[in-house]
Amino acid sequence: MDDREYEQLLQYAKQFSGVTEDMENTLQGLYERVKPHMAEVTDSFYTVLLDIPKAEPFLIDRLDALKETHNRWMESVFSGPFELDYVKAMYRVGDVHVKAELPVEFMAGSMALITTRLHQLLGTIFKDEPEKLIESVSAVNSILGFTLMVMQQSYESSRLAEELEKFLKITGMSRTLFDNLASAYKE
Amino acid sequence: MREDMLASILSDLNGSSADIEASAVISTDGLIMASLLPANLDEDRVGAMSAAMLSLGDRTASELTRGSLEMVLIKGSQGYVVMTHAGEEAVVSVQAKSTAKLGLVFLDIKRAAEAISKVI
Repeated sequence: MDDREYEQLLQYAKQFSGVTEDMENTLQGLYERVKPHMAEVTDSFYTVLLDIPKAEPFLIDRLDALKETHNRWMESVFSGPFELDYVKAMYRVGDVHVKAELPVEFMAGSMALITTRLHQLLGTIFKDEPEKLIESVSAVNSILGFTLMVMQQSYESSRLAEELEKFLKITGMSRTLFDNLASAYKE
Repeated sequence: MREDMLASILSDLNGSSADIEASAVISTDGLIMASLLPANLDEDRVGAMSAAMLSLGDRTASELTRGSLEMVLIKGSQGYVVMTHAGEEAVVSVQAKSTAKLGLVFLDIKRAAEAISKVI
């Protein structure tokens, strides 16, 4: 993907997930209050994942490294900015998931788990401030939805690229021939 | 110069039999080098599709232990498409009538392919 395509994806995902500048400010405002609990959220997330038989083999030998990466990502969720660099980073995360051959449902499932954990945390932080709780939950939902969209886009592209490689290998077609064939049938 | 020579070979091929309706020389990447095609056919599509079919034919012959590929023959209700290599870098694609005498068509295509491989 070039910068123009990343920019398109950025705008598309922001529009779809409803991320606004106010939400970005809200998330940044939450950073100091959420940061002390990030490791706890991460630990809790991986504890649930380890109980899922299909997920466990992908985690077992690299749990510490994964937790470290996860904590760094959580920090970025509450610090932003949610611009091209963030989109590129999340797109790469999707790529890594594909290369590790993680089933596609892992991303949506994981995001659901993280969303629940963060809602619980925000519920504790803002137990006496319902308006702030609603505002925070909305911002978290939007940014996690935004992130998931970007990662899934990458997943889709990477999967298609992998499938194409297989197809070319099986048929013996060169990449150039395939491109010429596709170009000949471009509307 | 080379294009003229290829066009001349195709012209001879199409003239060699009333059964042959159209022909083209295509790079193995699917690009047209020379062609004598009816106006209703898209050169780019004929080129890319023929090269793709021949590539698949190569792989099929090999996978199904039929030795090296000699040609790919497609029979439709309106006639035949015959594709064969012309050297290592080109493909000849020929369209023939449904009533064509295939033995003669194959012979003409083989001669044309040899001539084309010398030019390329």
